Amino acid sequence: MVDLAEQFELMGCIQCGRCTAGCPVSLRTYLNVRKVVYESVTGPGPKDAGERPEVWNCTTCRTCTDRCPKGVKPMELLIGLRSRSIERGRVMPTVRDALESTFKHGNPWGRIRDKRMDWAEDLNVPVAEEGEHVSVLYYVGCTPAYEPRTQGIARALVKLFEAAGVPYSTLGTSESCCGNEIKRMGEEGLFELLVEGNRQAFGALEIDVIVTSSPHCMNTFRNEYGEPELPVIHYSQLLADLLRDGKLRLSGSLDKTVTYHDPCFLGKHNGIYDDPREVIERVPGIEFVEMDRSRERALCCEGGGGRMWVEAAEERGERLAEIRVKDALELGAELLVTACPFCLLTLEDAVKTSGSEGKIEVIDLAELVAEAV
Amino acid sequence: MNIVVCVKRVPETAEADLKIASEGRSIDPEGLAFAINESDNYALEEALLIKEDRDGTVTVITMGPEDSEDVLRMSMAKGADAAVRLWDPAFEGSDAVATARVLAAAIKDMEYDLVLTGCMASDDGRTQVGVALAALLGIPHATYVTELAVEDGRVTVGRELEGGLIEKLDVALPCVVTIQTGINEPRYASIMGIAKASKREIAIRSAGDLSIDASEVGEGGSSTKVLGIEYPPLGEGAEILEGTPAEASEKLAQVLKEKGFA
Repeated sequence: MVDLAEQFELMGCIQCGRCTAGCPVSLRTYLNVRKVVYESVTGPGPKDAGERPEVWNCTTCRTCTDRCPKGVKPMELLIGLRSRSIERGRVMPTVRDALESTFKHGNPWGRIRDKRMDWAEDLNVPVAEEGEHVSVLYYVGCTPAYEPRTQGIARALVKLFEAAGVPYSTLGTSESCCGNEIKRMGEEGLFELLVEGNRQAFGALEIDVIVTSSPHCMNTFRNEYGEPELPVIHYSQLLADLLRDGKLRLSGSLDKTVTYHDPCFLGKHNGIYDDPREVIERVPGIEFVEMDRSRERALCCEGGGGRMWVEAAEERGERLAEIRVKDALELGAELLVTACPFCLLTLEDAVKTSGSEGKIEVIDLAELVAEAV
Repeated sequence: MNIVVCVKRVPETAEADLKIASEGRSIDPEGLAFAINESDNYALEEALLIKEDRDGTVTVITMGPEDSEDVLRMSMAKGADAAVRLWDPAFEGSDAVATARVLAAAIKDMEYDLVLTGCMASDDGRTQVGVALAALLGIPHATYVTELAVEDGRVTVGRELEGGLIEKLDVALPCVVTIQTGINEPRYASIMGIAKASKREIAIRSAGDLSIDASEVGEGGSSTKVLGIEYPPLGEGAEILEGTPAEASEKLAQVLKEKGFA
């Protein structure tokens, strides 16, 4: 087996501690990324993630990699250790089931392909035919397609496309998982299979732009699908454009104090901080307040990096999403807005587990705008 | 310790809206995802665990057309040493006993100590192949096994009986053991592992190769025959709660309270 230090180019590590200092899950778990790097440089290092279950606690927020002054990529090492567990077949059943489901049904939720468009049953959502020219291909994503709470994002977006006269279409039930979470769970082979299938599906159409519900899908389409580059944006970017150009008009008014939680895969991974804020500020009646830990410093919600399917190893302290909800409450926010299906789920859970129901509501940006149309 | 594991490729039907095929005797496979039969997957895992513990080989075997090679490749990716596919047009329509005849014809000449298979196929639910196979091979069997330990010349097993009872048995080797789900936690077969396994050879055996009399297998050689299948009749008295998950659960809580369940 190739040496970890060599495979992940760890020799540059000077053990300065910038990685651990920035790691949000170190508040929560016993994952010490500096130690994992150190042991991989000085010794053989852990054989795989099975030997270090806390490696599965990483949310792949990328703070460690971004902060490293030497250009070492600790996050890649953690994903690599997961890959080694995957190749040995020894992963926790929830991860195994998500991966097998993605292979068989094209989604990690264990649901069949036939039901992928159930969210749109009463909405008359168009499905593109082979060879068709599509101005906006709306890539729904597995979570908004199947998961009942986040189906609201897809339903709101379709309503907004129609209100703004955006000519859009979808892949219907032939849409398959983007692979962003699959890659982060370490299943590189399955990821490559998904890339091939999705490239084929996109290639069968003439697409001007792909718009995703989830920053996770946008991230992998944008940064990990190779050449030629896919024309892809997150819906918050499209909504900002539509509002700026006056194509989408908001007649309703929402007299509420609102704050915004930056999804890691929209912000830290792709630098999109301003568009979602602009969209919020354009909603009439809203008072926007900013949390202290925002933008590049935003606290991760713990929903990324495959964590939706991971039973986290030994934990301590509060859930990060609960801290986030408390931060929002302290600001006097009535609405906590985010722009990611995973953040929506983790934050909404945190409202319930922290006993904050009735005090604050978690809502996706698309839903917020749809309410104001 | 050489172990043979009999596996079957079946459609996943848990959430699917099943359609009856036009001939009226089977399910239309269009749009269904296929995978290894669930309890066979646990049988395979049990075999791999025994191999890791005691050395020896694991051979997976299936009866079926070329599609079935999926499950064989997946099994090899998980660690099976060899794979055999038994197929001949004459095998088409075999019932459980006729299927066991085909399997027995292939297994009888192998060097084996233990034959494992799932306790039930999730498509036809017959639960008979393992037992018939043991009878045809002239060796003992134990079914619905949820605990298995290999000892010298025998296995000790726990069989899941009705009402939650466990029957403990000592069974002499060689024998057939049919495995119940939950006995272990099946491993994952990575896509790279499956790709590597697809370069390995799968032995294919026809009726002629196995010296099987075609009149003893297939529909003609079967003593049971599916005459037709029908959808279950729609019953009465079910109430479907509509609305968002929050609304539906509120209504459900109300119903449970009203009926005195909560």
